[in-house]
Amino acid sequence: MKNLIQDTLNKIKKEHIAPEPRWKFLSRKIGVWIGVIAVVALAALVISVVYFLLAQLDWEIYPLMHQNMFVYGLSVMPYFWLTFLGVLALLAFLAVRKTENGYRFNWLLIVSSIAIGILAIGFFISRIGWGGRLNGVMMHQMPYYAQNVATKEKQWMQPEKGFLAGTIRAVSGSALEIDDLNSVVWNIQLTKQTLVRPSVTLAQGQMIKIIGTRKDAQNFSATEIRPWMGQGMMGADR
Amino acid sequence: MTEEKALTDAQLVESARLNPESFGLLMERYQNPLFHYIRRLTQLASDDVQDLLQEVFIKIYQNLNSYDSDLKFSSWAYRIAHNQVIDHFRRVSSRPKTNALEDYEWDKLIQASVHLEKELANKDCVEKIKNCIQALPMKYKEVLILRFVEEKEYEEIMDILRKPKGTVATLIARGKQELKKKMKEQNIDCL
Repeated sequence: MKNLIQDTLNKIKKEHIAPEPRWKFLSRKIGVWIGVIAVVALAALVISVVYFLLAQLDWEIYPLMHQNMFVYGLSVMPYFWLTFLGVLALLAFLAVRKTENGYRFNWLLIVSSIAIGILAIGFFISRIGWGGRLNGVMMHQMPYYAQNVATKEKQWMQPEKGFLAGTIRAVSGSALEIDDLNSVVWNIQLTKQTLVRPSVTLAQGQMIKIIGTRKDAQNFSATEIRPWMGQGMMGADR
Repeated sequence: MTEEKALTDAQLVESARLNPESFGLLMERYQNPLFHYIRRLTQLASDDVQDLLQEVFIKIYQNLNSYDSDLKFSSWAYRIAHNQVIDHFRRVSSRPKTNALEDYEWDKLIQASVHLEKELANKDCVEKIKNCIQALPMKYKEVLILRFVEEKEYEEIMDILRKPKGTVATLIARGKQELKKKMKEQNIDCL
């Protein structure tokens, strides 16, 4: 056994074996942590898209769709992004475990730190509007994406279910003419019972959402009119 | 040299980074424990174990700058030995068929794994239990050896295997369960 020590020392000297430089190990460590941060940041971007998609929807209209909140929620969930988010969160967890001392951390601590990191960075990304921007890019660039994601536009372009949206072309008495989001012209009939939300301005060029009943391919009877943005309750006390 | 012998492992590591001779002292401290650990994990002949141990020492020397003194040096050295053994079996595309344990090591392992209160008189029975342990998957055998033969604490096993504490505890518990299951399957009822 004594020989083993001397043999090893001789081998070290003869083959000029030396300890690898500290910077190599340090850069490896930093590299792994950069990977963790990159995955968390990507997950944060994804959660900002999820937030954008869910926040743009009109959540109070589910009773008009004859659905309960739960079923409505399931129908509008952005499953593509949620799956992606799950994969990234798992990847982040495994990456933390792969760090030098990752095996020592309690899994609950890792999971909660990742969740807080994703939410905090996601909040910041949402505030600067990157979630909406990425969604916009995906809508135009990625095949099948637009068909498979619930958007406000899709939600309000279901005339057969009583939801229509578009831009006012003309206003005459108790009728409106609008271009819907697919540039199809509709005649909208208003009655005395039609609720026009306080912040709606019925004027040419205004974007509106209409709840009502489709009469035929070009005629729609309105029971409620809302502005395109929001529920139109602002100015209700005016 | 006498002064150096009084140094802690971490201090010796510090010194060995600059002077390979100091590394000799570290090797002296760990050659026996690591030799036996490698032997227990493999069924290699003594010369082959020595070759593997030399590779482990070279690896330790090359990685001295990555040693974190928050960790026990022995755990770190065992980790490198463990990885080297895994690499070795990957290189030669085989797995250890048995654990070359000494009789006293088998006794320790069997007593701890199946909670023996008294010594086993029946040698045939001991052989049968050995066979059951040998038939365990490597992940269980390894952790049982570390815990009951090397007598390592859970924290040390965590550091050696780089696995969370819960995983280590689960592996030990499942290893014992598997062993009992195998003994039951083979109608070994001599406890």
